[in-house]
Amino acid sequence: MKHTPPEPAHDIDQIATVTGSGFNAEVLQADGPIAVEFMTYGCPHCKAIEPVLQRVAEMVKSKERIFRVNVAVEQELANNFDIKFTPTMVMFLDGREVGRVNGLSPTVASVLTAVTHPFQALP
Amino acid sequence: MNPIATITGPIVPVLLYNDECAICRRLGSWVQASALGASGQPSLIARPIGEDPQALRALNPQLDIWDAYAHIHVLMPDGAMKIDGEAVAEVLRDLPNTHWFAWCFSIGIFGFRPCQAVLNVCYLILADVRPLLGCESCGSPSFWVRPFVTMIAWVKRRFTRVPPPDLTVHSTSFPVGTAHAAPPSAH
Repeated sequence: MKHTPPEPAHDIDQIATVTGSGFNAEVLQADGPIAVEFMTYGCPHCKAIEPVLQRVAEMVKSKERIFRVNVAVEQELANNFDIKFTPTMVMFLDGREVGRVNGLSPTVASVLTAVTHPFQALP
Repeated sequence: MNPIATITGPIVPVLLYNDECAICRRLGSWVQASALGASGQPSLIARPIGEDPQALRALNPQLDIWDAYAHIHVLMPDGAMKIDGEAVAEVLRDLPNTHWFAWCFSIGIFGFRPCQAVLNVCYLILADVRPLLGCESCGSPSFWVRPFVTMIAWVKRRFTRVPPPDLTVHSTSFPVGTAHAAPPSAH
C-alpha cells in the first residue's frame, strides 16, 4: 500500500530561516521589532506551533519580522542566547533582546501575544 | 563527506530516520549494516533526516521535514512513500536477513491484512514509548506513557545518582551545548 502525507507541504514559508553567519545582519543590526523562534525540526512542540506561527507571521508582517533559528544546526547561537528548550521565542527591538517566551500554547492568541506584547509594553 | 548525502535519484528504497533520537539512530545503523547483501550492494539505504527541508524535497517533492520527523518514512524508487507500520514492513522486506518472514505482511483476508495490522499497532506503541527507552529528543510522552516515565524517574532517583531527563510538558528539552561547549557571551 502506498501512502502520501496527510497534509500538503508548506508551500509559502512566512518565516525565514536565519543562520549564524546572517544573524548579526538580519537580527541584531536590523531596525524594528523582530521575533526569533529557536526550534528544531525534531521537536514535536515546534511542529505543533509551526502552522500557528505561520499564520501569526502573515498577520504581523507589516509591523514585525519573524525568523527561525534551527538550534540543531546553530548550536553556538543557542549557547549565546542560553536556549534550554525548544521552541523558545526571543524578541528583539533594534538589536536588543526585549523579551522571551518558551512553552507556548499552539493557539493564535497565545503566539500573537507572545510576539507582540514585549514591544507594546515598551515605553 | 557522507556518500548518502550525494544521492539524488535513489534506485533502492531510502529509510529516513531521526538522528537526534538515540533509539532511531541505533535502528538506522542496524538497518544500514543489515542491508548489505552478498553482492556488496545495499538493498536499502538508511539516511538521517537532517535539517535541510530543501534537501528532503529534492528526494521527494511531497516530503515535508516536519512529517519526516513525526513518522518513519521509506521513499520508494518509483516516487511513492510509505509511512509508519507500512514503512517498517517495507524495511523488513528489503533486508536480506528478514525478508524470509516479511511475506506475511502482504497476506490479506478480504482486504484485511492481520500481520500488517499487528505490526502497525506495534509501531505505534514503540513510537510512543521511545522516551522511556532513552530518546532525548522525542518531546512530551503520550498521556498513557507518562505514569511509566514518572515511575522510571522515581526508580532512577531512588537507586542512582543520575538525574532523570527533564520531560517537561510544554516544551522539548534539548541538550544544547553538550557537544559544542562554546562559552556563553553577554547579550
